[in-house]
Amino acid sequence: MSGEFSIIGKPTAMIDAAAKTTGAGKYTDDLRVPGMLIGKILHSPYPHARIRRIETSRAEKCEGVIAVVVGKDAPNPYGILPVGHDEYALALDKVRYVGDNVACVIAVSEAIAEKALELIDVDYEVLPAYFDPEESMKATKDLIHDSKPGNLEKDYHHVFGDPDKGFSEADHIAEARFIANEVTHAAMEPHSTLASFEIDPHTGKAGRLTVWSSTQVPYYLQHKLSLVLEMPMSQIRVIKPLVGGGFGGKSEVIPLEIIAAVAARKAQAAVKITYTREEVFWAHRGRPRTIIDLKTGIKQDGRITAVKARVVQDGGAYCSYGVVTILYSGALLGALYDIPNIQYDGYRVLTNKPACGAMRGHGTVNVRFAFESQLDELAAKIGMDPAEIRQHNLLKPPCITVNGLRVQSYGLPECIEKTVERSGWKQRKGKLLKGRGLGIACSHYVSGAANSIIRSDMPHSTVNIKIDRDGGVVVYTGASEIGQGSDTMTAQVAAEVLGCSLPRVRVIAADTDLTPIDIGSYSSRVTFMAGNATLRAATEVKKLIAAAAAKQMGCAVEDLIFRNDQVFKQNAAAASGAGLANESIRSKRDEASVSGRVEGQILRGSLQQKRKEEGPKDSLTFEEAVVAAIDFHGTLTGTGSYAPPQEARGGKHKGAGVGPSPAYSYSAQVAEVSVDEETGEVVVHKVWAAHDCGRALNPVSVEGQIIGSVWMGMGQALTEEMVWKDGMLMNPGLLEYRSPSSVESPEIEPIIVESIDPEGPFGAKECSEGSLAATIPAIANAIYDAVGVRLHESPFTPERVLAALRAKRNAKSLGLTEGVDPTAPARFREHGGSLCFKGKGPERHALDPSRNSAPAVPGRAD
Amino acid sequence: MSLPEFRLLRPRSIEDAVRCLSEHLGKDGLSLRMLAGGTDLIPSMRQKLFEPEYVLDLRGIVAMRGIRPQGDGGVEIGALTTLRAIERSDFLRQHYAVLTEAAATVASPVLRNMGTIGGNICLDTRCLWYNQSLTWRKGCGFCIKKDGDLCHVAPGGTKCWAVFSGDTPPALLCLDAEIEIASANGVRRVPLNDFYTGLGDNYRKLQPNELVTRIFLPASTAGYRGVYRKLRVRGSIDYPLAGVAVAMKSYDGHVADARIAVTAVNPAPLLVKGAGELLMGKPLDEALAEAVGDLAAKTAKPLTTSALTPEYRREMIRVFAKRAVLAAAAN
Amino acid sequence: MKKELIELRVNGRPYELAIEPNALLLDTLRQDLELTGSKRGCDDSSCGACTVLIDGVAMMSCTLLAASCEGQEITTVEGVSEHGALAAIQKAYGDWGGAQCGFCTPGFMMTVKSLLAENPAPTEAEVRAALSSNLCRCTGYSQMYEAIRSAIAAERQVSAVAK
Repeated sequence: MSGEFSIIGKPTAMIDAAAKTTGAGKYTDDLRVPGMLIGKILHSPYPHARIRRIETSRAEKCEGVIAVVVGKDAPNPYGILPVGHDEYALALDKVRYVGDNVACVIAVSEAIAEKALELIDVDYEVLPAYFDPEESMKATKDLIHDSKPGNLEKDYHHVFGDPDKGFSEADHIAEARFIANEVTHAAMEPHSTLASFEIDPHTGKAGRLTVWSSTQVPYYLQHKLSLVLEMPMSQIRVIKPLVGGGFGGKSEVIPLEIIAAVAARKAQAAVKITYTREEVFWAHRGRPRTIIDLKTGIKQDGRITAVKARVVQDGGAYCSYGVVTILYSGALLGALYDIPNIQYDGYRVLTNKPACGAMRGHGTVNVRFAFESQLDELAAKIGMDPAEIRQHNLLKPPCITVNGLRVQSYGLPECIEKTVERSGWKQRKGKLLKGRGLGIACSHYVSGAANSIIRSDMPHSTVNIKIDRDGGVVVYTGASEIGQGSDTMTAQVAAEVLGCSLPRVRVIAADTDLTPIDIGSYSSRVTFMAGNATLRAATEVKKLIAAAAAKQMGCAVEDLIFRNDQVFKQNAAAASGAGLANESIRSKRDEASVSGRVEGQILRGSLQQKRKEEGPKDSLTFEEAVVAAIDFHGTLTGTGSYAPPQEARGGKHKGAGVGPSPAYSYSAQVAEVSVDEETGEVVVHKVWAAHDCGRALNPVSVEGQIIGSVWMGMGQALTEEMVWKDGMLMNPGLLEYRSPSSVESPEIEPIIVESIDPEGPFGAKECSEGSLAATIPAIANAIYDAVGVRLHESPFTPERVLAALRAKRNAKSLGLTEGVDPTAPARFREHGGSLCFKGKGPERHALDPSRNSAPAVPGRAD
Repeated sequence: MSLPEFRLLRPRSIEDAVRCLSEHLGKDGLSLRMLAGGTDLIPSMRQKLFEPEYVLDLRGIVAMRGIRPQGDGGVEIGALTTLRAIERSDFLRQHYAVLTEAAATVASPVLRNMGTIGGNICLDTRCLWYNQSLTWRKGCGFCIKKDGDLCHVAPGGTKCWAVFSGDTPPALLCLDAEIEIASANGVRRVPLNDFYTGLGDNYRKLQPNELVTRIFLPASTAGYRGVYRKLRVRGSIDYPLAGVAVAMKSYDGHVADARIAVTAVNPAPLLVKGAGELLMGKPLDEALAEAVGDLAAKTAKPLTTSALTPEYRREMIRVFAKRAVLAAAAN
Repeated sequence: MKKELIELRVNGRPYELAIEPNALLLDTLRQDLELTGSKRGCDDSSCGACTVLIDGVAMMSCTLLAASCEGQEITTVEGVSEHGALAAIQKAYGDWGGAQCGFCTPGFMMTVKSLLAENPAPTEAEVRAALSSNLCRCTGYSQMYEAIRSAIAAERQVSAVAK
C-alpha cells in the first residue's frame, strides 16, 4: 500500500507549524490597523431584567471615548439557525443572563473604555429568572422569550420501529436517570474581532467592511453581518487569521463579532474587541447540562430490542444551535449499533444562563455517556463481557438505520477488536488489583452534516485551484484552519492528485473576497467535504495538464503518471521513474527548483528548447508540464465542489434533516483507571482509543485529533464543570474551570483504523470529534469495574465518587454532596431549583449607577 | 482587563522600602500594596479587588532573598526567596522536609519561579464570591470582604469566611517558624502562629506600614520528618482545597514530638490542637493515626468558599491527616 | 496617566520605551514592541500562554509589571529561533504534532527551553511536571512529549557532530 500514494498517508508537519512555533503567526488579537480603537462591552449584572433606560452621556463625555453603542444602533435580530433569530448585537429591551450584552464603549485604549463602562447608567426592572430546565418548563409568565411558551425552545418526539413491542420482547430492561453537567470549549484563544470600514470612492461614504475574526465559519459571519448591518454580503469581507482553537465555540456568530462591526460603523474607525476570559465563558455556546432518562431492553443473548430516551437540555437564554443539538441527541442513538426500535423525546429548554451551542461531539456526547453506561449495566445483568455485548449489536452495512441514517463504511468491529487486543482486555479484565479497573465504550460521529443549516441546494464546499508558469499551485478554499490541520489536508490532497511536492502548494483559505464558499469548520466536515472539493478541483486541473503533456510526449493521456514533481509515461515510469528511490527524485527536483529560481524564465525556456530538439520525452518535470499546459490552454485553473448525495440526506420525519451524514466515523475505547476508595479520587492510567477515520491522510494529525478528543472527554468525565449559583457562573476562569494539566493527563494510545469510505476523499472520514463521546462512559465503566459503583452524574468528582462508595457500603453519607445520593440524582443541587433571582442587587457598590433607584426584587406567587 | 492606575515605587533596600511604606501610608492604609512575586496581587488588581495609589515593588531588594543556615542549626529565609528556591534547597530538604514538600505543591512550576515565601505567608484569603471581576461581583451584589455588607457563604452572616489558601504556612507552623516584621518603628519578631487573626477579611496582623522581611526556622525542629498532603482537582496550578502538614520526631519507634497543621479549610492556617499530646510517646499505628485524623477534621471548618463541597473537604482533612502521620512515621 | 521612560532588553536588543507604570510586561511586548508571539489566554495567571524567560527563568509576562523588569534580560518566543532557522524544539513540535492551534505553543516553547537548559536529559515525569505550568486545549500533551524527546535526540546529534 505504501507505494500507492506519495503524499497522503505519511506523517506530515502542518504547513503552518513554523508560524506557530516561532510566534510569527498572527491571530486576530495580534493584528492592528492604523487608528484602531478598542471596544469594551458592558454586561448585565442580572439574569433576567427589562431595560427601562440606558443613559450613556456620562460615558460619552469621557476623554478618549469615541462612541458608545447600544441595542438600538443595530436592532435587527440574528441567530445562527434560520429558526432561531432571537439575538441582538446588544440588548434591545431585555437582558436574559448575567453577562448578556448591554452596551459597548469604543475608546482609544482598553483602560479608558473599561473606566467609561462604569459611567453608563442602566435602569433595570428585575424579573423572575429560571435556572433549572425542569422548573423553567413550568413557567407561565415572565417568559424568557415571549414567543416561546413554557420556555421551551423546541421539543421533538420520534418513534422508530415499535418500541413498546421491543420492550415487551426484552428479557432485561434497565432504566435510569443520567445527568451530564455543563462544560465549555475553553479554547486557548479568547475570541477577538477587528472590524474596519473603507470609504466608498463613488459615494464618499462608509463603504465596504472588512472583518478579521476568530471564527470557524467566515461565511456565516458574513451572512449574519449582512442581516444586522443591512449591507449586501458582497460589501462585507471576512478574513479568518490563525484561530487558537474552536471546538465549536467559534462555530457560530459570537456577539462580539457583530458588536465590533456595529461599533466600527458608529465610531467611524477600525475597532477591535477581544474578550476577557470571563467574557469567553459568558459567550459560551458549550455543551448543555443534560438530563437523560434512559431505558434499554435486551434479550438474554445481548441483542438490544428497544431504546427509549427522554432528554432535557438546559439550553441557556438563546436558541443558538439548540434545535440542532436536541435533534443530534436523538438521531445519533442510531448508526452506531443495530437498534430496531427507538423512542426519543427531546426538550430544548430556555433558562437564564449563557446560551449553549455546539461543542465537539455536538449533541451525541451526553446521551452516549448514558447509553454506554446502561449497556454495561445490562451486560453485567446477563453475565456477558462488555466488549462482547457490543459485538452482538453491530450494524451490517451498507444499510439504512431505523431512523433513516445511511451507513456505508463501518470500522467499528475492527475498532473493538483492536482496543480489546492492545489493552490486554481478555487477559486483564477482572484480574487487576483491587481499586483498579478496565472499562470499554464506543462512539461515532458524522463526517459533516448532510444538510446545511441554511436550507438550499448550494454545495457545502467549493475549491478553486490556479497554477501558473512558475509551477506554483495555489489552492483557494473557504475551509477554516482552526488548528485541526485543514490547510495541510487541503495541500496534501492537491499535491497527491497533481503528483507534485507539498512545498509547491500554497493554500489561500478563509477569506471571503478571495476564496470560494465553504460552510466552515464544524461537525467534522472539512476533510470529507472540502477534501472532496479539493480532490475534484485538482483532478480537473490535472486533466488539462495531462492533455498538454500527452501531446508533447506523444502518448495517450491514460498513459501518464503524475508523481514526485514529474509526469511520466506509464511504461517508462515502470522502467525508471516510479521505481526510482525517492531520494534521487528529490535531488532532481531540488536541482530544477534551484536553477529555476536563479535563472527564471530564460533557463526554463532554454530547457524547453533543448527538449524540443531532442524530440518526445519519456518524462517532463512538473514545471515543464505546467508550462506546456498554459501554452496550450491559455490558463490553468480547476474548480471542484461537494454536495452530499441525496441518498445520504436522511428520512422524511420532522427533524430528519439533523443526523444524516455522508459517512460516520467510529471509535472504541478501553480506559484503565484506579479509584482511591478512601478519597474517591479517580486516576486514569491509560486510554486505548481505536478510531475508524476511513483513511488517515496525515497520520500525525489523525493521532493528534484522537488523543485530543479522548483527553477532552476525560476532562468532562473528571474535572470540568460549569458551576452555577442563582445564575452566577462560579468559575468563569481557567483557574477554577479545570481543564486537565499535563500532570494528570494519562497516556493515550491512538489506534488508527482505516475502513476506506467509498465516498470520502481517498476514503477518508472524520477524526476530530467521534472519539470524545466514548471516553466518558469508558471511564465510568472502568470505575464500575474497579470499585463496583455506577456513576450517573458527570463529572465524576471525588466527592461524587466517594458518596457513591459510601452509599454502596451503606455507610454514613456525611452529606458529601449536600445530602443527595448521587446514584439517583433527581435534581441539580447547585441551582437550588430557585425560580426567582435572589441576588442582593448591585446597589451597595459606590461605582454602581443604579444605586439610587434600588430595584425591588419581585417575589413569585408560588 | 487592565490594571488600575498606580504609581510604582521600586526600593533597592529594606530601609528604602520601609521609608516608602511610612511615606505613602495614606489615611486608611489602603493606598499602597506590596508586590513581591505578583502572582496573588496582579490578578487581584485586574479584578479591581485592590486599587492602590502606590505599588511598592520589592523585586529589587536583593537582601531579602536567600536561604541562610545559622550557626545554631536553624535557618533564616529571606521573605523574597522564591518558592522554587525553597523547593530546590538541599539544606531545607534535609532539615525541614515538610517545607520543601509544601513549597513544591504550590500552583505550578512557573508560578513558583515567581511566587515568594513571604507572599505565600501573606497570601490574601480566597473565596469564590470574592476572587471575581468587578463586573461579576456587581452581579452578586458584592460580598462582605470587598464592597458589600453580606457574606454569601454563610447566608445572612456578617462575618467573612474567605479561606486561607497558602501551602507553606501550615508547614511553617509545624516547624515553629517565626517571622521578622520591619517598619519605620524598627523590627519585631513574632511566632507565625500569632500572625493570623482567623478572620476572613482582616486575616493577618500586619500594620499598613509593616513589611515581612525574614522567616526563621529554629534548630529545635530541624531534622523533623515531614509530610504535606494537598487536596486539589488538578495535579498542578490549583490552590489547595484542603491541606495537611505534619512534622514529627520519633525515638525508638515512638513519637517524641509532633505537630500537625491544616490549611485551606479555615480563614487561617491552624495547628491542630492536642495532636502532639495525643501522639507523644506512643508508637504510631493505624488506630492512633485515625484518632489524629478525627482531631484534624474537628479543627477544619470549611464552607462553600471553594470548589468541592465543604463536607468532602473536611473529610479529606481527616483522611489526609491520617495518611500524613503514617507516611511521616514511615519516612 | 503619566508615562515613564524605561529601558528593556528583549531578545538581546535594548529598547527605550515610554510606558505607564501599571503596564504589564505582556502588553508592553505585544503592543509597544509588536512582539505578538506571547499570548494572553486568561486573566488569572493560570494558562501560561504568555510565558517568557527573565534572566533565563520562565515567568508569566501577564503577571509582571514591565517597569519591574528593567535591567533584566527578557527572552520571548521570537528569540528562540537560531540564525533564521527553527531551533530543534520548534522543528520537533511541528513534526510530532506538538502544536495544533498553536496559541499555547509560544508559552510551551519557553517552558521547554528553560526545562532543557536546566536539565538536558529530563525523565518523562520531569517533563510532565515541567509542562504543568501551561495549559493546552488541543493536544492532550501526549505528542509534546514525543516532540521533546526527539528534540533532545536531535540536539545530541548536533553536539556529537560538533565534537
